[in-house]
Amino acid sequence: MGRIGPVTANPYPWPYDGTADTARTALLCIDWQTDFCGPGGYVDAMGYDIGLTRAGLPATARLLDHVRSLGMLVVHTREGHDPDLSDLPANKRWRSAQIGAEIGAAGPCGRILVKGEPGWEIVPEVAPAPGEVVVDKPGKGAFYATNLDLVLRTRGITHLILTGITTDVCVHTTMREANDRGYECLILADCTGATDKDNHDAALHMVTMQGGVFGCVATSDAVIAATTR
Amino acid sequence: MVTVAAARPFPYTFDPATTALLVIDMQRDFLEPGGFGESLGNDVGQLRRTIAPLTALLAGARAAGLTVVHTREGHLPDLSDCPPAKLNRGLPSKRIGDPGPKGRILVRGEYGHDIVDELTPLPGEPVVDKPGKGAFHATDLDALLAERNIHSLLVTGVTTEVCVHTTVREANDRGYECLVLADCVGSYFPEFHRVGLDMIAAQGGIFGWVADSTDVLAVLPTTPVLQPSS
Repeated sequence: MGRIGPVTANPYPWPYDGTADTARTALLCIDWQTDFCGPGGYVDAMGYDIGLTRAGLPATARLLDHVRSLGMLVVHTREGHDPDLSDLPANKRWRSAQIGAEIGAAGPCGRILVKGEPGWEIVPEVAPAPGEVVVDKPGKGAFYATNLDLVLRTRGITHLILTGITTDVCVHTTMREANDRGYECLILADCTGATDKDNHDAALHMVTMQGGVFGCVATSDAVIAATTR
Repeated sequence: MVTVAAARPFPYTFDPATTALLVIDMQRDFLEPGGFGESLGNDVGQLRRTIAPLTALLAGARAAGLTVVHTREGHLPDLSDCPPAKLNRGLPSKRIGDPGPKGRILVRGEYGHDIVDELTPLPGEPVVDKPGKGAFHATDLDALLAERNIHSLLVTGVTTEVCVHTTVREANDRGYECLVLADCVGSYFPEFHRVGLDMIAAQGGIFGWVADSTDVLAVLPTTPVLQPSS
């Protein structure tokens, strides 16, 4: 099986234990959904520039090709709610209504953030391949109220490489959850994006403090360069 | 119900009977001169400015009969609950479990692991020991809050962008309404403190609300409300 690492990363060459077995490493693709990066989706409806959230798509698509050729586990996540909204906390619904894009309401891409709607689907550039794991989550964090931890532990995964959107919200929440659970995490600067450039930059910077409080930051090129078959 | 009109991005309304004050990781190792945090070169003054407003808020919350929950980050003496990645990452000069100025670093039961004298928990106030940054992971916090019928959290403590933020994110996903008190949370890095607060209120309050402790004290009842735990 292949190895990955040491990856040129900030603040230390990743991973902490030198190299990782590609069989124990997973690529997480977080919430690459039309609602977050497509025209007419939730983020677009809130008035943000989807150019910022789409920026990481080409690099992520290229990295996906690479890790698939290595046989690495790929896990996709989707944020969304059941059609009856029974898993939507009242305050989450209220806040989305305040900003003019109420979860569950009809939008150009179907009901906003509702499972099964066009806007909830993952965009074609990074769509899951047959057999890849897709985790549906009701929150920002991919570990809360999902089977992600069970899936990763069952596959013997100890190291995670994170891509997706948005950097400061769902990607960061998931990285924090993973870090607390003992996974060694690497977030990729060119495979993430936020609705605000400053928040993207600050979120990446935070990871690097205190010797890597949540893990490390690198680029997809550095990951690709550090893999051996 | 009372409303904190000055909260951003919207006024924050809460029922004191179903609200808890959460005091995160106000531990000697993070806050005191000569502690672990300062030994790493951090300016503890950035954290210590929270002690005075938090002391006042704690008194107000107790007078109003709110549930008060304290948390402490730390590990068992044999480090069996410390993930290898946390222990060894970045080849630190001082690592968790090593002898530090106030006892073994981040180990339960050590002097430096305990809460600063100004904010000592009262008998009966829950103290949640947590192995991670988030106070919900691998702890009984969620069960403890559910038992007391708590739906709203007033969040204080350190540090803004690490343990406070991780805990607010966890709480938000669980449906709690979180108000983070800007003057009662602190970071060694002022820029992260500022952006940490901005992130909470961004996108229509994606993680919750932000206000100052004086805004809350102005609306808290001065006699105890009846909480299920009272």
